Amino acid sequence: MNKRILLCDDEFHIVRAAEIKFQRRGFDVRTASDGEEAWEILQEWLPDVLVTDCQMPRLDGLGLVRRLRDHDAMDDLPVLMLTAKSFEKQYRDTADELGILGVIPKPFSPRELLIRVEQIVELQPSNSQSQESIATDALPAEAAAASETSSAQTAKA
Amino acid sequence: MKSISPKNWFGVAMASAAAALLMGWLSGAWSALPTWQYALPGASVGLLGLCGFSAYRLLRIAQHERPAQRYLESLARMDDGELRGMMSGRTVAGLEKDRVWSGLFQQIRDRLLEQSERVEVLEMNRAALEVRAKRSATDHERIASILSGINEPVLAVDEYDELVLANSSAEELFEFELEQTEDPMIRELVRCEELLELLQDTRRHTSRERSREMQFAAGEEEPRWYNVTASTLNDEQLDEQPTEETASSGTVLVFRDISSQKELQKRNAEFVASVSHEMKTPLSGIKAYVELLADGDAEDEKAQEEFLQVINSQADRLQRLIENLLNIARIEAGVVEVSKKAQSLNDLLEEAFRVVSPAAELKNLQLKRELSSLYLGVLVDRDLMTQAAINLLSNAIKYTPEGREVVLRSRVVDKEIEFEVEDQGVGLSEEDQQRVFEKFYRVKKDKTMAAGTGLGLPLAKHIVEDVHRGRLLVRSELGIGSTFAIRLPNAGQMS
Repeated sequence: MNKRILLCDDEFHIVRAAEIKFQRRGFDVRTASDGEEAWEILQEWLPDVLVTDCQMPRLDGLGLVRRLRDHDAMDDLPVLMLTAKSFEKQYRDTADELGILGVIPKPFSPRELLIRVEQIVELQPSNSQSQESIATDALPAEAAAASETSSAQTAKA
Repeated sequence: MKSISPKNWFGVAMASAAAALLMGWLSGAWSALPTWQYALPGASVGLLGLCGFSAYRLLRIAQHERPAQRYLESLARMDDGELRGMMSGRTVAGLEKDRVWSGLFQQIRDRLLEQSERVEVLEMNRAALEVRAKRSATDHERIASILSGINEPVLAVDEYDELVLANSSAEELFEFELEQTEDPMIRELVRCEELLELLQDTRRHTSRERSREMQFAAGEEEPRWYNVTASTLNDEQLDEQPTEETASSGTVLVFRDISSQKELQKRNAEFVASVSHEMKTPLSGIKAYVELLADGDAEDEKAQEEFLQVINSQADRLQRLIENLLNIARIEAGVVEVSKKAQSLNDLLEEAFRVVSPAAELKNLQLKRELSSLYLGVLVDRDLMTQAAINLLSNAIKYTPEGREVVLRSRVVDKEIEFEVEDQGVGLSEEDQQRVFEKFYRVKKDKTMAAGTGLGLPLAKHIVEDVHRGRLLVRSELGIGSTFAIRLPNAGQMS
């Protein structure tokens, strides 16, 4: 199964460049332009790695990761953070607390990012097989309703 | 013949009388005459001697003692001035021959002279002290008045940590009145451990002055930053001949408000961080796509073309940022080159419109233009005014949510020409409207929505007002949107 990666950055070209790199490497890639959009994607699609920018509108990278850590199904999702801030130290301390595996300064090399992501995903099983259980955990009410609808449709058929 | 004193004369007279009496008695004892007849000569001599002595005494009194008495009486009646004047070299007539009296008067005179000189010195000292006391009181009042006029809070503490001086600014900051305070210990009046540490540190240190930055808040106000300088006064400054054991005689604390500098430092730091972020973003794009090309990740020529276009656009973006920074710096320094020509405002606005259209499209915004059908002639530097228009449009696009509208308009207003950019963004509060043209200022809520340097509007303002003597205005309503308008003198209309 292909490894999955979610790329999140409000800069379209940066996301696009990383997307091309990972797709060429055989990853299933999804992209988001801010933390809220990424959160919505995560409700139904759990990647093997999340690569997110720090500064984004609506919900920034640290806010997104805090939500992940409060969610049982996602609290151990590996995360790499990109930042254009000159002084990464202030983010490193928070990143350590949130279990972020690495803070990568911009401008970054897509090639090096790929290497780091591959190192991380090699150490764990793919999440692509556990999509249904994650979806149920993420939105219990909605998933249960969807399941009932599906069962009803099957029964009708 | 030596002079004989009155006592001696009396003694001689009485001895003569005694001798005559004795001889008379002895003669009488040997003769038939009665004794009293023989005693009579002796008694007569004695009586004569007594009379002589008395006459002598009376004469002496008349010659010496009366004058002395008069002299003493006159002394008793004299005032200080006459006494001092009389002391110099005056003698008493007749007394100079009498060693006892003249010696006595000499002693008295010397003592009086000595006391008079002492009194004179004391009087001078008293007068000098009085003058010094008055000067000291005047100096004290002057210093108190000066301290009251000083904005910086000032405190003075003695070697026992007791507050001995506080100006009105200090009393206001720390909320006490020194004159009304029963316990003027600084620890009680200024409850700040950091300040007390600075005091102790200054006293321990060999240098007389130490500084530290601290925050204090007066009442309910926001805390402000102060640079607190503690200067220790020691007896070395007061003694003319200081010794190794010169002790501290107190410490003066001066609080210099540095809140503005701190705010500027903070803004500068934020600006540097923002500029860094803005510069690194296009650089990231350039680096990423160059690497993709280098690694052969462009599948075909179309992809290569796409990558190269991105590299180019990001390079342009970086260039615009650098130009904005440099333009602001040049305008502020007064060294920008300006080339003003009469031209059509609408032509200029069309160009600006074209430049920003792609960004609006990316955000799915409706970018409209409602330009006047009239020829609007303005005397402007084309590049600078186009940049100002681009900055207003970019700002509107940046802070307007997706799917909404941004409108560019131009019109004649009285004797001026105006163009405006209206958006449907988040709007600005009253405070934000006042500050939105400040360099580096960014509206707080907007920071979460869009990245930027806070330079676009300040640069536009510089261009419009400093270079073209126009006006840049803003109208806004929170939650509804904002309209930024530029007004320029009408350079005339041409058919």
